[in-house]
Amino acid sequence: MADDASDDHFEEDSVDEVHTFDGRLLRRMARYLAPYTWYIVLALFITLGASVLGPLRPWLVQKAIDNYIVVGDLQGLQWIILFLVLALVGEGLLSFAENYLTQWIGQQAIYDLRTTLFRHVEKQPLSYFDHTPVGRIITRATSDVEALSDAFSSGLVTALGDLFKLFFIAYFMFTLNWELAVVTLLVMPLMVWVTFWFRRNVREQYRETRKQMARINTFIQEHVTGMHIVQLFGREEEEKERFEGINDDHRAAHLRTIFYYAIFWPSIEFISNVALAAVLWFGGLRAMGGSALTLGVLVAFIQYARQFFRPIRDLSNKYDTLQRAMAGAERVFGVLDTDESLEAPEAPVEIDELEGTIEFENVWFAYEEDNEGTPDWVLKDVSFTVEPGEMVALVGATGAGKSTVMNVLLRFYEIQKGRILVDGHDIRDLRLKDLREHIGLIPQDVFLFSGSVRRNLTLDDPGVDEDLMRRAAKTVQADQLIERLPDGYDQDVKERGSSLSRGQRQLLAFVRALIYDPDVMVLDEATSSVDTETEALIQQALERLTEGRTTLAIAHRLSTIQDADKILVMHKGEVRERGTHKELLAMDGLYRKLYDLQYADQAPGTPPRGDGEPADERVQA
Amino acid sequence: MGPLSRLNHFFWEYKYLFVPGLLFTMVSAGFQITVPMVVRQAVDSIPRFVRLYSLYEGTPAQAEFYAYFFVTLILFALVIVALSGTSGLFMFLMRQTVVVASRHIEYDLRNDLYTHLQRLSSTFYQEYATGDVITRATDDIEKVRRYIGPAIMYVTRSLVMVLVAASAMFVISPTLTLYALTPLPLLAIAVFFMARMVHRRSDLLQQQYSTLTSRVQEALSGIRVVKAYTREQAEAEAFDEESRGYRTRNLDLAWVESAWRPSFLLLVGVSTVIVVWVGGRLVAEGAITIGNIAEYIIYINMMTWPVASLGFVITMIQRASASVLRLQKIMDRAPDIADGPQTNPSIQTLEGRIAFRDVWYRYEDEEEPALRGVSFDLPADHTLAVVGRTGSGKSTLVRMIPRLLDPDSGTVEIDGHDLQTIPLDTVRRHMGYVPQDVFLFSDTVANNIAFGDLDADREEIRRAAAEADLLDNVADFPDGFDTHVGERGITLSGGQKQRTSIARALIRNPRVLIFDDALSAVDTATERNILRSLRERQGNHTLVIVSHRLSAVQEADLILVMEQGEVVQRGTHETLVAEEGLYADLHEKQMLEEEIQAF
Repeated sequence: MADDASDDHFEEDSVDEVHTFDGRLLRRMARYLAPYTWYIVLALFITLGASVLGPLRPWLVQKAIDNYIVVGDLQGLQWIILFLVLALVGEGLLSFAENYLTQWIGQQAIYDLRTTLFRHVEKQPLSYFDHTPVGRIITRATSDVEALSDAFSSGLVTALGDLFKLFFIAYFMFTLNWELAVVTLLVMPLMVWVTFWFRRNVREQYRETRKQMARINTFIQEHVTGMHIVQLFGREEEEKERFEGINDDHRAAHLRTIFYYAIFWPSIEFISNVALAAVLWFGGLRAMGGSALTLGVLVAFIQYARQFFRPIRDLSNKYDTLQRAMAGAERVFGVLDTDESLEAPEAPVEIDELEGTIEFENVWFAYEEDNEGTPDWVLKDVSFTVEPGEMVALVGATGAGKSTVMNVLLRFYEIQKGRILVDGHDIRDLRLKDLREHIGLIPQDVFLFSGSVRRNLTLDDPGVDEDLMRRAAKTVQADQLIERLPDGYDQDVKERGSSLSRGQRQLLAFVRALIYDPDVMVLDEATSSVDTETEALIQQALERLTEGRTTLAIAHRLSTIQDADKILVMHKGEVRERGTHKELLAMDGLYRKLYDLQYADQAPGTPPRGDGEPADERVQA
Repeated sequence: MGPLSRLNHFFWEYKYLFVPGLLFTMVSAGFQITVPMVVRQAVDSIPRFVRLYSLYEGTPAQAEFYAYFFVTLILFALVIVALSGTSGLFMFLMRQTVVVASRHIEYDLRNDLYTHLQRLSSTFYQEYATGDVITRATDDIEKVRRYIGPAIMYVTRSLVMVLVAASAMFVISPTLTLYALTPLPLLAIAVFFMARMVHRRSDLLQQQYSTLTSRVQEALSGIRVVKAYTREQAEAEAFDEESRGYRTRNLDLAWVESAWRPSFLLLVGVSTVIVVWVGGRLVAEGAITIGNIAEYIIYINMMTWPVASLGFVITMIQRASASVLRLQKIMDRAPDIADGPQTNPSIQTLEGRIAFRDVWYRYEDEEEPALRGVSFDLPADHTLAVVGRTGSGKSTLVRMIPRLLDPDSGTVEIDGHDLQTIPLDTVRRHMGYVPQDVFLFSDTVANNIAFGDLDADREEIRRAAAEADLLDNVADFPDGFDTHVGERGITLSGGQKQRTSIARALIRNPRVLIFDDALSAVDTATERNILRSLRERQGNHTLVIVSHRLSAVQEADLILVMEQGEVVQRGTHETLVAEEGLYADLHEKQMLEEEIQAF
């Protein structure tokens, strides 16, 4: 009765999946609690204390009535009152401590699990991310981990606490009067049955209401996104009816839930009143029979009849909590159990600095295999060498395999055949960290993290000071661009209206690369949509960036690479032509075609124009 | 109440539930309140019975008394059970009316919102994120419902309980009542403040949860950068930081929530202790009986929740007002593309002659106009092609035809009528549109195609699919036309989606068919097949094609070449190729690309 409506508010939880209990899973969950064993022990003692003090109060009330009020001993009454107040305050403090401490333990364990999960995912290679949707990992790291939190915090300790409470209530009742205790306890099975009956049905209904809510969500999500289609095809009336149908199912599910609540609360009230009536009737009869039944005992029992209910209800909730936790745990551990991360070499080659020689020796690579298991080769027998200090350009049509060369060089993916050597060392013998620290990458689609320009340039590395950053920005002339932003280096890059064009983003990436000052630079040039001004800036920046540095560049605008020491023309996964700009043009082959294509729609009078297409920006943001 | 008064008409509408509901509430509370009175009678009678009974010890009358007391006690018990049962029955009825009514209103509100959303144009959807709209349709409406149902139920019940119980208590002993009830207002105030703290802290927690989520999202989306710059450790530490923040917020909330039950317990407990203490003295003075103490203890327990719920109700109402305001922002928004006084309802059919007269348009968040003075005339049943680079205004132009956008200045005319005078329904009914970004519903392939024409039978669906060159694919799908696409079905390739979207437009047999770069994801062979089907329909519709690929536009009667929102060239393929300019450049480029591919 006491918190009739609180259930409407705080306990709208349910399990989405039925899950069997799995001892192995439980033990594994327990491992995350192990570091907090002593806190758990402490919490158990506190819970034990709180569980005694609650049922102690009606017992004290009995003493107050029988020993003092009935006989009119007001002096003694004051003492009992003092004890009552102490018991009350004690119970209050202990149950606060119990609640907070168990939550604390749960949060610590959840923190450990969550950060472990993040570190685990982060060290997976890129191929893992190709076949695992980011959304799924996010769910694992957030809501699935969250599902475990209740089990961690309130699972064992509070469940034991509820059992303690039931035990002590029974204990005090039997001490006071065993016959009345038996009469009172007779309604217990009924109460347990009603509670579990309710829990079972409501659980089902909640699952149903959640399902219906999810349908509403999906429907709205879909129809908001595709509203123009609905409108264009004049389907408003029909879609409205469909929505009303779903909305109606949702309402129906709720109405059934209301029905169970409407039965449950009055039933609980009714059952405790039945217990009360039984106590009065039976107690009255026994009193006439000359038993030692006193008024105080009667009053105490009236209170006990009402104290029973809460621990029973709380216990019935535990089952759901645990089930949900198991479902979450299974998914979270599923992620932790899949480890595709590259093994570190046993005896890694130590490198402090790279000369800059890069060699591809008959490299074959496929991202995936087709249905029959034959690899779908993206690189076919690719061989080339970049000498220290050289600038080598890769050109070719879309899908020729240029970006893949970068991906395998930085070991984002493992090649299937052949070798890649850096300064004569197979990259598989190097530490990943060393490899990537010495080879700087500027990708085509520059990914910007939310936050300030500064954060994106320094990547929050405390080792990068303001001066270094500003110097780097100046070197590639990005400083003007940055200073033109409303908040300069503190400009939030994702804020509405401050979206940077692709070219501008690449300039930022140049600064980023320069700050980290790698020995070898790998660059994927931005394709289209670069305005002339930025284009010129990029051009100059590139020159500074690659000066005296071994550079492997994927070029989209052939104008930028005419001075390259070597140009590799890739086509369908193979290097088809190689040579300098002049040599290649003279060959009059593929390169020539690509070159003509480049200038085809840049005829005089129609300068290339940065049209900063909005759709593009949105995809990026 | 302010904004909440907007909801008043619902109370009137559902008065058949609210009026009995409130009556049930009062009756239920009334019966519940009488239980302790009976308990008091019983408790006070027992010692009297015992005294009487022992008085007749040893006499034959004793057995008679025993029978009499036995029956009386059973009566007491039965009355308690009966009262409690009746109260329970009405409590059941109360929930089945008031709370049920709130669900009906929730249903109505949500339907209203959705219906209104259907009337709003793309400008609205550019302004509001999808998630935002969903939150309003779910969370905000739920908050409003809580005000309508539970909040009103609690208030009524609390008031009845408190008034009846307090007067019953007052009659017994004004002094004891005053003492015993002192902590209760404190309880209501405490609950109010704690509920507010809980809400505030859970909002903060929610915020931190979003931060945490976006942190993961970002680190994973940017995993290449993270790895390329070996920032794994730094990212992990940043994530630790956010996780710690989340833990802190969680514990902040846990602090209030942990204090919740104990404070409740303490305040109620204090009332009980006061009853025993002050009541004990009064019993000693003979002012009240011990039965009264039992009665008071039950009253206090009974009043606890109703009083506490008053504290809740205040926050519930506050939240509901905020939600109503948020809902209003959408509901009060007038649809900007809709029929109006200028509409001529007699226009029921379209021929398909399209004319633009000096049309200008600028998107709200952009500086440069997307269309600058576009004009052209296209006779019915002819084909118009629009080409140009990305961002040159092609899509904006064709979106004007089905009135997805209205021009800032200039007019779009169909059959010589200003488009804005033609009923929107007529415009849309006679048009087939294949958008640039394909959007399919998570439904079967057949239903997605029949979205264009609900009455279409399987044969027509099949024919449309055939025309869109989709039939062979459908044959490969696990359930053919009944295969589900999207989230809970199979994932279609870009080209398959695009062709489904084409079939959806074709099945309408529209007077005006618009392809907004709708062949970008299909290969040249498929493109050829689709163009062939379109050719067969020639003369039956006006066709507008936006394309990057010139192969698709070569047969058009009129080709517009767009650049920076302007039509820079116009003509047919033959005249344009001969002319020096963008079209000829594009043409040359495409020839080269084909050569390279064949290399």
